[in-house]
Amino acid sequence: MKRWWLRPLVRFVAALVLPVAVPFLCVLLLWALPGDPASIICPPESCSGTEELARRWNLDAGPGHYFWSWISGVAQGEWGNSWRLMTGMGVRALVEESVPNTLMLLGLAFIPVVVGSLVAALELVNERVDPVLQVIGAVPGILLALLAAAWQTLTFGPDGERMAGLLLGAAVLGLADGVFSGAVLGTRSLFGSERRQRYVGVAVLRGERIIENTLPNVAPAFIGQLRARGVQLLSGAVVIEVVLRIDGVGDLLWQATLVQDFGLVMPVVTAFALFSSALLLVQAVAEIGVALLVRRSPRVPLGGAA
Amino acid sequence: MSGRWPAAAVALLCALALMVLVVAAPEHLSAIDQGRAAEGALQMPPFGADGRGRPLWEYAAQGASVVALPALAAGLLVSAFSVLGGVVRAMGLERVDPMIQAAGEIVGALPRMVVILVVALVLPREWRGLMPLALTWALLSAPGAMDEAAAVAERLGGARFVEALRAHGYSAPRIFLVHIVGYNLRPVLVRQGAEVMSQVVFLEIALSYLAASRQDPSFTHSDSLVSWADILYLGYQALAFREPYGHAVVLGLGLLALVTVFASAVGRAARAR
Repeated sequence: MKRWWLRPLVRFVAALVLPVAVPFLCVLLLWALPGDPASIICPPESCSGTEELARRWNLDAGPGHYFWSWISGVAQGEWGNSWRLMTGMGVRALVEESVPNTLMLLGLAFIPVVVGSLVAALELVNERVDPVLQVIGAVPGILLALLAAAWQTLTFGPDGERMAGLLLGAAVLGLADGVFSGAVLGTRSLFGSERRQRYVGVAVLRGERIIENTLPNVAPAFIGQLRARGVQLLSGAVVIEVVLRIDGVGDLLWQATLVQDFGLVMPVVTAFALFSSALLLVQAVAEIGVALLVRRSPRVPLGGAA
Repeated sequence: MSGRWPAAAVALLCALALMVLVVAAPEHLSAIDQGRAAEGALQMPPFGADGRGRPLWEYAAQGASVVALPALAAGLLVSAFSVLGGVVRAMGLERVDPMIQAAGEIVGALPRMVVILVVALVLPREWRGLMPLALTWALLSAPGAMDEAAAVAERLGGARFVEALRAHGYSAPRIFLVHIVGYNLRPVLVRQGAEVMSQVVFLEIALSYLAASRQDPSFTHSDSLVSWADILYLGYQALAFREPYGHAVVLGLGLLALVTVFASAVGRAARAR
């Protein structure tokens, strides 16, 4: 492939655009639907003073004005206030308080994914365990989360315990909805099909190790799989945080959505977009690294030609 | 014989069970009867009662009616997108294909549940329900499905395959509808559709459960209806607080298993020979 840099470049650009594009799309969506935004957030039949609220929430001058004032506020470190969930409270403090918990949950949940992928890449998973993996993968996250929440309540009482909640949440997030089984089976299938290539047979005959030959070729797809698992974990984190009462951004998003707190939803959604961007950036950098590595001139043993 | 017929039979049985539930769904739950509260499956067949003496089969039936149409619509939409992805690759449309891939990269980068919640937030009240959320989920799943279908068309030979069939004198509908979609893309279309159907059911359960656990109204159905999440919530109370709803745990797990087995069996039945 001549233009090997095209894919990483697209990812790089997407990573830069995503944190701005996602909140912009949210604003557009709010204005694109029938009825004015203030009436959607605060229906006149159940909420008085819609016009006054529209002015206060900056919803009265169109989507461009709203988005521009919001994004310029964010650029200056002023993220605005919560409209409803904690009326008047600065959303920056709420988001900053929640992000570490979500990062810890995601980090812990990523451990089984990475371990499973590595074990599968090294051919340490027997095909006889596939049915077990498939059954584990078929279990929906909400079911495992519910069982974990019940166990947590029985063991630690209704208020739970923070670290136990995080560990349980990470275990559920990492195992349910096919995250772990997908990582193991996907990686094994990826490396397995590469191992059947002719050049690998030749390398084995030359006394070389298989993984050293296959890894550079499958690395871009492998990294892509890991990123897909990362996005899946981000998505699943919302449900797990709510059920297991983990104070993360997913829980914040859920609460803000329930009370239609658009002022809080915007920065939370941006935080999720930033997580996705970080994953895209990691993938782009890894792809560039692999591409440069495989394009190095091979080392020719000196004196071989003589 | 590769287990396709047994899988088809299992899929059919599961579909029948779900259809029976949908057809039997009452418009409203029965009247409260505290005298029969939390009765088990033996005292109040077939599934027992809730904490107010209302039969749980009504919960199961109403829950099935909440998810049936949206799940079906989402499955069909994803299958339609798969057809598009496969046909575009088979036609060798060099300008459209990269655009689809780029769009897929961007859509695939978004956490689905976050998008679903944003859509739930901005929907006007009169539009609220599972259908728009299910269709959004299908749109978010579409790039992956299109990619897989395109890979199948690619393995087939892409534009060269179409050219070869044209050389045999086949008409365009026969080439695309019968040979590409019917014979080659079918396993992917059916499996992807079935998977998205089950995902929509789990999405509904997750959203309704989260709402029920905090005593909030659900985004996915009106307050007069109950969903399978309400059965699971009773089950949670049985497990966490030793409430007498053990039968709800069994029913909830059974319904989830029914959907999972259905999706898996449909995918297996549609496998290529």
